[in-house]
Amino acid sequence: MRSPFAYTPRPGPLQTASPGAAVAYLGAFVVVSFLYSSPVVLAAVGAGVLLAGTSAGARAALGAALRMGLTLALLIVAVNALVVDRGETVLARLGEWPLLGRVDVTGEAIAAGATIGLRATVAMVAFAVYSACVDPDRVLRALRPLAGRSALTATLISRLVPVAAADAARLRDAGRLRGPGAAPLGRATLARRLLAGSLDRAVDVAATLELRGYGLEPSTSSLGSSRSTSDSPGGCVDCRSRYDTRFYAVATTILVAAVAGKLLGADGFSTYPTVEMAVTSTTVAVSAVAILAGIAPWRRQPQRATRPHQAAGAAPPEAPNA
Amino acid sequence: MPELASPARAVPALTIEDLTYSYPNTTRPALSDVSLTLGAGEFALLAGRSACGKSTLLRAACGLVPHFHGGEIEGSVNVAGIDAIATGPGELAAVVGYVAQDPETQIVSTTVAAEIALPLELRGESPTSRARAVEEVALALAIPHLLDRTVDTLSGGELQRVALAAALVTRPQLVLLDEPTSQLDPVAGDELIWLLRRLNEEWGVTVLLAEHRLERCLAAADRVVAVESGSIAFDGAPRDFLTWAQDADPALETPAARMFSMAGIEPLPTGVRDARRTLASTDPLTEGRRTPSERLVLFGPTASQRDAPLPAKKLREEGVRLPSTPTLSVNDLWVELGQGDTPRDVIRGIDLRIEDGERVALMGRNGAGKSTVLRTIAGLVEPVRGKVEVPGGIALLSQNPGDYLVRERVGDELLGELGIAALRIVGMEQAIDRDPRDLSGGERQRLALAIALAGRMDGDELPGLVALDEPTRGMDRARKQDLTELVAELAERGAGVVVATHDVEFAAAFAERVVLLGDGVVIADGAAAEVLSGGWYFATEVARILDLPGIVTPEQGAAALETDSG
Repeated sequence: MRSPFAYTPRPGPLQTASPGAAVAYLGAFVVVSFLYSSPVVLAAVGAGVLLAGTSAGARAALGAALRMGLTLALLIVAVNALVVDRGETVLARLGEWPLLGRVDVTGEAIAAGATIGLRATVAMVAFAVYSACVDPDRVLRALRPLAGRSALTATLISRLVPVAAADAARLRDAGRLRGPGAAPLGRATLARRLLAGSLDRAVDVAATLELRGYGLEPSTSSLGSSRSTSDSPGGCVDCRSRYDTRFYAVATTILVAAVAGKLLGADGFSTYPTVEMAVTSTTVAVSAVAILAGIAPWRRQPQRATRPHQAAGAAPPEAPNA
Repeated sequence: MPELASPARAVPALTIEDLTYSYPNTTRPALSDVSLTLGAGEFALLAGRSACGKSTLLRAACGLVPHFHGGEIEGSVNVAGIDAIATGPGELAAVVGYVAQDPETQIVSTTVAAEIALPLELRGESPTSRARAVEEVALALAIPHLLDRTVDTLSGGELQRVALAAALVTRPQLVLLDEPTSQLDPVAGDELIWLLRRLNEEWGVTVLLAEHRLERCLAAADRVVAVESGSIAFDGAPRDFLTWAQDADPALETPAARMFSMAGIEPLPTGVRDARRTLASTDPLTEGRRTPSERLVLFGPTASQRDAPLPAKKLREEGVRLPSTPTLSVNDLWVELGQGDTPRDVIRGIDLRIEDGERVALMGRNGAGKSTVLRTIAGLVEPVRGKVEVPGGIALLSQNPGDYLVRERVGDELLGELGIAALRIVGMEQAIDRDPRDLSGGERQRLALAIALAGRMDGDELPGLVALDEPTRGMDRARKQDLTELVAELAERGAGVVVATHDVEFAAAFAERVVLLGDGVVIADGAAAEVLSGGWYFATEVARILDLPGIVTPEQGAAALETDSG
């Protein structure tokens, strides 16, 4: 069964954008979420990422990431409420706990935990959109000239992680199929078997990479190649897209607006000793930019009628000698 | 006028001289004193039993042996003039392509286009030449529609084609294939073999193909090399190979050759067309274009046909009362798989009933839903609608027996007397102190079956259902015969046995009934002889030659031919 986070090729702008543009665009949301603590801005950034993911057709990844992110957020809220005793608004006194000592649950600790949880959720959703929409092969291809060994490691991992997940699912199934008279399959045994299987798989993948010529120096191995003079060996036919400019522009806009907003006091939020939040016009403006950034790259450009024969219903001009 | 030969083609595609090789930490050599020369443009078939050294020979020809596997090697291996022992597999990648048995293990990229382009990219080819080469090889293998897909959405047959495309994209002079059809259904398997033949003829690619299902590819080959215990036992034309195999190793005979040999007809045929031609010139059985029913009237059913047991379904239809509680009862089963935006119905309203002691083959092309049916019966998949009843329980052996083997001693996999009893049923009680990793493929499969069966027996009886999912992958005929006998024994002990398989010859040998699935629905359900003689792809080689209803095995075919000549 496919993971909802697995890359799915689609002819959308985010999928066809170069890896750099896609990373810059989605990374800008993550940067803003770490730059701000204001729940208004964080919620807006989250909405922007959700809009981007929906526009890119990654609904399954968004759903799974939201479920995981909100579960993690609840966990963070609970842990923060139990281990942090700062804040003036005590909601419950839970007495003395082993290791933790005296536990007082404060509204401020819950608010602080919720802020961290929201930030983590935004980051997870952004990563989910990246995972579902950005072709890992193109990322690795872009990395290869910069860091060959790292790209090799990443290639192995990017292949072995889904293979190991499939192996684990198969081993669990085989464990369920063991007869009542067979020794039960414990977690440690399963983990050991999975590790051994992964090593075998790694050997197989490494052999395939060898056969494909991974260890070769490109300059010494281009036997019989017909290279055109206009081509650069390290170049990439599909490394750029007509949408790249939009994604870079939107990423720059979010970051500039976020930094400017931060300097102008848009992040008016603190949790201790009491929760204080100031929603200014700058906060609203930064939030609006974050939300709009989620749909801006998908805006359809008006068709330019630069050539008369491209107008609707018009036939192309006939050749002079026709 | 003298023939013009290009300098590259004048060099043999593969020259192996006095090659002896042992894997690390082994005492017996895997290859012993092997010498072999393959001329440019030849299509050679590598035949032999399991573990005879075929795969090792292919690995030596692409440089994985000794560079990747280590071990001790003597002799020489030259691929298109390049010393394969001195250079590594990476350097050889320009002149040799290698396709392994399991396509899952030879895919390293996420998308099909990237996978095919990778070898060129690693050689420093320009983006435009990469794009052109990918497009051309995709067109040659009829997979342009797959280029934008991710590899995890492909079927086994599609994945094997992608692996072949990645091996061919550098336009190598030699292509090595290690049982590439073992995971494919008859349709995809036949297509792959004829695709290789076309590439061989049109591109001049030299092909060295290791296969167990010789009936599938013998007709496409120019030459057969048989390997026995690491040495070359035969090297010659396909027809001569069949004559050699008759005496030297009958397990390597094709069903058609066995039928001819039993019926005393010469020469032995290399394929269906060859056999039909021979019969047409000697036998009125295939004369003219009589319909199968006309021919059955003319020649009558054979003794084996008359004595064949009727499957339970037919008995029910004929009003014979069967036990009220079947081993398996499936009613209106619907299964949906996939998640997110693309769930789909994989099983669509199947009804199935299997009685005690019945032997059933569940067949169909890749993706027809065979494994899903078995997994649903075993409770691994939740149906969206329908009812499954297995009163005596089910022991399911999945496609990968190795998944059941998790400990370092056979005895540790099983508990007490129940475990010993299960080992006894599969004939493995003598191996109780061995390490499962040291067992042969067939023994590992039997041990995995024992693990699934353990604790489900009632004394010597075996109530319930035993299900095997594609158990013959990578098996030679001798091992398939052992499996046929094991299935018969399980059925004799009372179990209903259902085997999901692509292997029509195996199905003809073990099954009394065949259920054919197509796209999640049952498209045929009847006596094995009836179903396996009533089509083209899901028909045995004998059935395709004789086209007589109910004649599917070499024994039945020989009997029909003898009746005719008598």
